[in-house]
Amino acid sequence: MPLLEVRDLQVRFSTRGKTVYAVNGISFDLDPGDTLGIVGESGCGKSVSSLAMLGILPKPAGRVHGGQVVFDGEDLLTLPDERLRHIRGNDIAMVFQDPMTSLNPVLTVSRQLTEALRTHLDLGKKEAAAEAASLLDRVGIPDARQRLRDYPHQFSGGMRQRVGITMAIACRPKVLIADEPTTALDVTIQAQILELLRTLVREEGMALILVTHDLGVVAGICERTHVMYAGRFVETAPTGELFANPRHPYTVGLLKSVPRLDAARKQRLDPIGGAPRDQTSEPTACAFAPRCAYASTESWEQLPVLRELDGATGPAAHRVACWNPVPEQDLVAAGIRQAPTGRQTGDQPDEERQA
Amino acid sequence: MSIAEAEAAQLSVEQPSGLWSDAWRRVRRNPAAWVGAGLLLFFVICAVFAPLLAPYGPQETVGSLAAVPPGPTAEYPFGLDEQGRDVLSRVIYGARLSLLVGLVSVAIGLSLGLVLGAVSGYFGGRVDGVIMRFMDLMLSIPGFLLAIGLVTLLGRGLFQIMFAIGITTVPIFARLLRGSILAQREADYVLAARSVGTPGFRLLTVHILPNSIAPVIVQATLAMATAIIDVAGLSFLGLGPNDPSLPEWGKFLAENAARLQNSAHLVFFPGFAVVFSVLAFNLLGDALREAIDPKLRA
Amino acid sequence: MTDTQPVDTATRQDTDLVRVEDLKVYFPSNDGLIFGRKGNDIRAVDGVSFTIRRGETLGLVGESGCGKTTVGRTLLRLYDPTAGRILFDGNDIASLSGRNLRRLRRRMQMVFQDPYSSLNPRQNVANIVSEPLRVHGLAKGSEADRRVHELLDIVGLPAAAANRYPHEFSGGQRQRIGLARSLAVNPDLIVADEPVSALDVSIQAQVINLLEDLQNDLGLTYLFIAHDLAVVRHISDRIAVMYLGTIVEVAPADELYARPLHPYTKALLSAVPIPDPAVEASRERIILTGDLPSPANPPSGCRFHTRCPYRQPTRCDDEEPALRELASGHTAACHWAEDIDSGTIQPRQDAVAAPLGGHSGDAAARPVA
Repeated sequence: MPLLEVRDLQVRFSTRGKTVYAVNGISFDLDPGDTLGIVGESGCGKSVSSLAMLGILPKPAGRVHGGQVVFDGEDLLTLPDERLRHIRGNDIAMVFQDPMTSLNPVLTVSRQLTEALRTHLDLGKKEAAAEAASLLDRVGIPDARQRLRDYPHQFSGGMRQRVGITMAIACRPKVLIADEPTTALDVTIQAQILELLRTLVREEGMALILVTHDLGVVAGICERTHVMYAGRFVETAPTGELFANPRHPYTVGLLKSVPRLDAARKQRLDPIGGAPRDQTSEPTACAFAPRCAYASTESWEQLPVLRELDGATGPAAHRVACWNPVPEQDLVAAGIRQAPTGRQTGDQPDEERQA
Repeated sequence: MSIAEAEAAQLSVEQPSGLWSDAWRRVRRNPAAWVGAGLLLFFVICAVFAPLLAPYGPQETVGSLAAVPPGPTAEYPFGLDEQGRDVLSRVIYGARLSLLVGLVSVAIGLSLGLVLGAVSGYFGGRVDGVIMRFMDLMLSIPGFLLAIGLVTLLGRGLFQIMFAIGITTVPIFARLLRGSILAQREADYVLAARSVGTPGFRLLTVHILPNSIAPVIVQATLAMATAIIDVAGLSFLGLGPNDPSLPEWGKFLAENAARLQNSAHLVFFPGFAVVFSVLAFNLLGDALREAIDPKLRA
Repeated sequence: MTDTQPVDTATRQDTDLVRVEDLKVYFPSNDGLIFGRKGNDIRAVDGVSFTIRRGETLGLVGESGCGKTTVGRTLLRLYDPTAGRILFDGNDIASLSGRNLRRLRRRMQMVFQDPYSSLNPRQNVANIVSEPLRVHGLAKGSEADRRVHELLDIVGLPAAAANRYPHEFSGGQRQRIGLARSLAVNPDLIVADEPVSALDVSIQAQVINLLEDLQNDLGLTYLFIAHDLAVVRHISDRIAVMYLGTIVEVAPADELYARPLHPYTKALLSAVPIPDPAVEASRERIILTGDLPSPANPPSGCRFHTRCPYRQPTRCDDEEPALRELASGHTAACHWAEDIDSGTIQPRQDAVAAPLGGHSGDAAARPVA
């Protein structure tokens, strides 16, 4: 049984008589030690999903409309607040883009850390203080013992995020959800934080859900990646497969629209035309169709669901929610894929017809 | 360009909406604003059409002198006072002075406060220091006490009273506008205007002020409520307008406080008028604040 | 642009539109609210020299707090320089004031990072875009309207946008409005300060392409300030790298990426995540330790020595390195650049993170450039 099982999660926001369909049915499994990336642009519902899983949606506008989030045999969405709070502290923890949101500005770091340790792990005062210092040391904060006495604002951006991560991992959670943990940071600091996350996952055996807009970030850290668009997963695959063989037009569009440091300079970028769907109605067709060169009548009329592309199932499965996955030769033309050797060009992969 | 076409189609569907018209729409959707506006309209009508609405003149003696004046009857719904004058008529006429004081004193306070706040916030530095320390000095004296002092100093003419009440609101407006300007002064759009070469005065009037003025408008509405209470308070203390023929709610209260035991109607009705007129401005002010405050915007 | 400019003929021939010489911009810092004890000045920009050629795009990269934004704003005289000279087409910007400054400002415009805060929320698009025209008395009434429509068309916005307000547009559209405003007076130079970093990736590409088209069509010169190295490399002809108020390296765009000579540039490049797991798995990354030092109290000698993985026992701590030309058109400010480049000096082992290797075996088959 997976550690965390999300089934058909749906989240809606209603304000001033308008309903925004933020998350429209996402499902995934998370096993211990997994690193899972959720990638998408702003407004696609990626952050809302993680807030919903933890029951910390902004109230009263946001509410879970349906689905299940099963952790350890319990559906988090139906748990009483008390129990959910306990799980949030002990088993599932979150790192935010702005660490200040999880830190109390008027208390010292020591006070906040030891309090969490004492309530959740039932440590004594001395033990908790020692543990707090060793945790700060663990996340790479120099002079850990000294810095415990500081307030959050006395840390620089990168160090503050380290403190945020410390708060999150203090009780050795089984699942760590990191929501754009490096977006506010400079690249060299981002590299430090990603390195830290990698180490933590490897050494502590935590499962990580990394929510980000940056394809580069997931490429370096996640085993499996879900691409999200307008509240749904449009493509999911092992990260290597996803980047080498993307098949959803949106994924391909994203990859084509960012300039890459390691490739020759392109004359022009290929942007995705148009703007994201305004999510004020329930999707009944492919949400990407208005921006998609491959859209067909089906795309405009029927909602595509995630389907396996080739025979692979289980952890190696590559699923796409698209009526007309991008043909292989277009990937070659876009420079995403090398021309297949020993195969005739124009050889249509047969999943084309399946879909 | 297909993107442009799609956007053009989308844009032509909806009406353009500025921030002010958006705010106005939100005000209209707020029931509290309607109650406030209704009450205010009622008082304004009373004030403007007092001679038509009031059954008698404010100084007209319709009954006889009485130690214990008669309470409300069908003929005199608010009863009579000790000099035999109709209380209803006097309360209706009283609206004139209260609203006038509210408007004029706030106008005085607002205009001085805006100038000082704008100068202080825009120029900063030493000018700002001097103006703001002076405002602090004024704020350190309780507003009502300051008004009492000024009235004692300047005399009890109607204008002097309005001026005194107005002065007490100056530091509030000045500080509010200054803070608001400081927040806007370094905003990117102001920098953008500067980089284009926009001269200082235009920078202030076209870019900074329209974006800083909202909280001041809210405060002005609320200040009218305070002004009405203040003038009533001054009258109650015997520092009201020295023209005895001017009917004023606070003065009624002061004159009749001792009769509260026997003739409650003499205090009750003017008191009610004060409460409801203040409520009207407060409701309106709160509704405006909700409509304008960007933090409450979706 | 038919105005007669006070230009001496010698510089007229010059290919450089902008020449910055030893620019310093310090901001006073006071501690204490009332009795301001004077603290150390913040040395936002501390001795920066560079040139921008006519028609080129110069990229200016660096992390937050390195002074790149201050350089851009000082170029437009939004800040006053503390020392040094900025020559725009031969005129020293620092010495201009009043009408002459205004006239020069017509020739340089700015595009801002945040499309939400850089447009006055109480003005409609027509007023925003025509503001420069009005300020410089270039067009009024129907003529201004025509120009506004023309400008909206250039940046790919429908004419119907003119009577709308900024909050009715998406981020990408607002950035187009900002661009239209900056183009209104036919400027020569546009300082674009992180013009795409607040936008979603799919929208970023639209705006970058637009910037490139405008440059080709209108012959613009760009100073493109950004922290995203991939974007900067895509759009720039040459790139200058800033660290803590100084320029540490200048090179043609491709050369900088192919052969970075300054240790900071190396670290910066290696820190950029590449959207390709195969590349991510195989490359060595230099992880810098610690944070940016305070610009109020910069380190002695080479400012990067406190974090530099190649730091040597001599010279680095006490001798400030000058920008030296190490290859044609490629300058770097490092005492040991040649030795580092040749491999004689290796980085400290603890600063190099091993390749990730592992997880994406299925992608490893893909050859990596």
